[in-house]
Amino acid sequence: MKRNFVGYVVLAIALFLIALLRPYAFFYGVQRGSLYGLVALPLALILGIVGLLNLAHGEFLTLSLYMTYLLFTKWGMDPLVSPAVTVPLLLAFGFVVYKLVIERSLKTHHLNLLLLTFGVSIVMVESLNIWWTSRPRNIYVPYASTSVNIFGVYVGGYEFLYTIAVVLVLTGLLLFLKKTRLGQATYAVGQNPKGAAIVGINVKFVYAFVFSLAAGLVALAGALLSVRSSIFPQAGGPFTMKSFSLTAMAGLGNLPGIVLAGIVLGIAEEFVKSIPGYTGWADLVFFVVLIAAIVFRAFGRREG
Amino acid sequence: MKRLFVVLMALVVALGFASTIKIGAVLPLSDITGRQAANAMKLAVKEINEAGGVLGMPVELFIVDDEMKPEKGAAAIDRLATVEKVDFFVGGMSSGVHLAQIPILKKYQKITVWIGAASYRCEEAIGPDADWYFHLHPWDYLQGESYAHGWRAITQKYPQVKIEKIFIAYEEGAFGTSSFKSYQDEFELAKKGTGVWAGLMKDLKGAPFKSAALGGGDYRAVLMQAKQYNPDLFIWAGYDADAIPILIQAKEIGFAPKLFVGAPPGWPADFGKNPLSHGVILYGMWAPALKDVSPIARHFWDAYVKEFNEEPATYFAPLGYTNIMFLIEGIKKAGSLDKDAIIKALREIEYDSPVGGVLKISPSRIIKNQGFRAQKILQWQNGVQHVIWPFEYQTAELIYPFPGWTGK
Amino acid sequence: MKYFMIAIVCVLCFLLPFFVGAYLIHVLTSIMIFLSLALSWDMMLRTGQLSFGIAGFFGLGAYASIIAVDDFSIDPLWSILVAAGFAALIALALGWIVLRLREIYFAITTLALSSVFMIFARNLSDLTGGSAGKVLYESIFKGDSIKIYWLVLSVALTVILVSELFQRTRIRFAINAIRDDEIAAKCSGVNIFKYLLFVFVLTSAIQGAVGALYAQQYAFVEPESTFSANFLLLPMSMALVGGIYSSLGPIIGAVVLGLASEYLKLIMPYGHLIIYGLILVLTIMFLPRGIYGTVVNRIAAKR
Repeated sequence: MKRNFVGYVVLAIALFLIALLRPYAFFYGVQRGSLYGLVALPLALILGIVGLLNLAHGEFLTLSLYMTYLLFTKWGMDPLVSPAVTVPLLLAFGFVVYKLVIERSLKTHHLNLLLLTFGVSIVMVESLNIWWTSRPRNIYVPYASTSVNIFGVYVGGYEFLYTIAVVLVLTGLLLFLKKTRLGQATYAVGQNPKGAAIVGINVKFVYAFVFSLAAGLVALAGALLSVRSSIFPQAGGPFTMKSFSLTAMAGLGNLPGIVLAGIVLGIAEEFVKSIPGYTGWADLVFFVVLIAAIVFRAFGRREG
Repeated sequence: MKRLFVVLMALVVALGFASTIKIGAVLPLSDITGRQAANAMKLAVKEINEAGGVLGMPVELFIVDDEMKPEKGAAAIDRLATVEKVDFFVGGMSSGVHLAQIPILKKYQKITVWIGAASYRCEEAIGPDADWYFHLHPWDYLQGESYAHGWRAITQKYPQVKIEKIFIAYEEGAFGTSSFKSYQDEFELAKKGTGVWAGLMKDLKGAPFKSAALGGGDYRAVLMQAKQYNPDLFIWAGYDADAIPILIQAKEIGFAPKLFVGAPPGWPADFGKNPLSHGVILYGMWAPALKDVSPIARHFWDAYVKEFNEEPATYFAPLGYTNIMFLIEGIKKAGSLDKDAIIKALREIEYDSPVGGVLKISPSRIIKNQGFRAQKILQWQNGVQHVIWPFEYQTAELIYPFPGWTGK
Repeated sequence: MKYFMIAIVCVLCFLLPFFVGAYLIHVLTSIMIFLSLALSWDMMLRTGQLSFGIAGFFGLGAYASIIAVDDFSIDPLWSILVAAGFAALIALALGWIVLRLREIYFAITTLALSSVFMIFARNLSDLTGGSAGKVLYESIFKGDSIKIYWLVLSVALTVILVSELFQRTRIRFAINAIRDDEIAAKCSGVNIFKYLLFVFVLTSAIQGAVGALYAQQYAFVEPESTFSANFLLLPMSMALVGGIYSSLGPIIGAVVLGLASEYLKLIMPYGHLIIYGLILVLTIMFLPRGIYGTVVNRIAAKR
């Protein structure tokens, strides 16, 4: 908890000021930030425990978007129901990618894993492109564009689902890591894989499990996102670097910090966007906050 | 008989009695625009060869993928010029890729007929001396001018339409920014009471957004600014991936301007099926509905569907067909492969294009050989893109005002 | 004998334009651009620091060079030095902060800085031409592709030379010591920060110069294409496929991947990038040390 103290203070001040000055920016920021966090959590899980930066993370998201789309158009399945199908499918897909490509390279230079996942991402994007063409697809459900009234402020309601989902997923993950045997083993592998192997934990199984679990969680995010986003081969790609940014901002192994980082960045972005004439600088704020947080933490640790 | 002729032609070529006319195309084949333009070019070449070729020679087409990377697109020009030894260059899409190709094109100075690259920077890079360079796609500033003509005509035909305040939401990259800049330039003129937009643009505002195609997709901040401004004409200039998310978010915040206009280069596959699309106006060069009013557009549509078993989805399909046909018409008229004669002929011919309109070369700001100058104003009605303006191609009456979101 | 061979290869490289056509020369020029980036990335990696910032310094150099020529009428050749100097200065200023970061924190910060550079290039329109970028009416040497080839070749050979000097001189021991065990290196008196800063500034200058070459060859800059992630991901792939921690590895990787992508495009107009991705995956799976690393290992094993 102490580690997040500065973050909480920053958040509290930002929340208060922005909610007061620009309520729309506040609500939209929370919504977007929750989405960033929801997508970043699985990436952070793999990075923290397997020690692998999955450059195909965004493409997993794209794949799940297409699956949701296919279920919706072919069988009329509601996107909010489709995780029942897409999560297991993506779990399996993650497992196959891990077994086929990742596992045998775990012992080599860690940058090899980076390039492997980059190769996987190229193959996925281009295959989707051949199959579906670059033309975007969309799912339309009326409930995705409804509005709600919060203290007289009229905002889009659907994206609050991101917030609910990220809280549920985060709580679930934390409980899992603390309370279950498999979770404790996973945590131990993340802390010290050699030590974990010595005490009899099947490290390879844990890695395969984490990789698949992360892919499954991506499918969940994909289902929620599918009704609000266009679906095309590069749709998920930008989320890889965004997720990596959040993970680094929070610090490795700090799952709640990722959600916090997502919401802070989301609000900062929306706040800048809401100022007429400065909309184009929103990205700059994203990166400056990111760099500042990383540098601040690095220097803070040194002095402390 | 025709078939026999083709076989004979092929024999003649094989024996080396006659050479072929070689055309080299550079297109982004991984994108739907480039893929369909390539198909349409192949279709055009096939039709020409079936009709006996040109000047008694068959036409041969070489297509190289630019992979949407500038250095690859530039190397493709070198390849086509020195390995395949083509006589003409065609193709084009992204302005960024084309900027890298321009120095290489200048090196060879072969006749080049380009259908992409709308950025005014490309025109600057080409310069005034390149008489061998023909640019068919309207430059970004030409598009802005043509919409003024369109809206003026529409306000005259439909007196209930009033335009005074304009808001432009534009994607922050080169595409969106340059189209906003062209409106800003016109606005400066309109304030002085001159220029094409005089009287139609009493006030102009704009805000950039990050396109979903490049990792954005949240437009609410910009839409809120637009809603507070309350424009008569709202235009968003982005990509196909933005089309439906913008509608969803506009509905969510209750923003329904009287004229809701989108100006992406293509539209998503499911746009027409989406109930929110009814009444959305779009700027474009072409619409499938043109086949009902233009015989050449009908011919192209049927031939394309028959040949490739898919419908043309972007205007780059008819434009790619036009690209080849226009060049061949020029060669036919010149009656030889002499470069100056062909340039002269290309400047004189009038080609009735499946894009909808007669293609005729005239100078633009810097270059001498500019093709199309105008876009069209179209409207989505019950899932179909209808032509509203130019009125000679009109396929439906304008729905005004934009029906809004109630009941959807 | 060995130096004699190297000299012959160099001379052959210079004479190549007299034997092959414009297309191959163009492809080789691009390969050498990426090769220099790959080597500069590898040189930083040898210190243990994974940089994701090479596309950023590439873009900075490209912009500096085009602005130098367009707004300050500097000769295009000199503008390449200006670009290298500018990139070095920025690296020096930022290095004080970012080089205190390690591992993924260094990687993501350099990546974020690249994005920051791009946002400035896009938004400072008066200087940079904004989103539409900036064009020169004429490219360097009036577009003479053979002279451009020679220029790029000279720069690439210089980069290779610098990389070899790193491998052969005292710097190497310092660098290896940092990579293998930073704390031990510190104890044995290696001034880590000084070395890191030196390598960071030098490799950034190389990236800046290479960016300038690219911009001068094609006579334009544009935020989206000049700061494209391709200028990070392709050089990285080349270095890893060829074999990292060496000079020959990235060279081999750049040549193999550069030629492969051109060839694949010919035999497979649609979807050739799928094969390209598969090549990356399979090379790493079966040659985990890269092509050069595996060959060296085999030879070592035989002895």
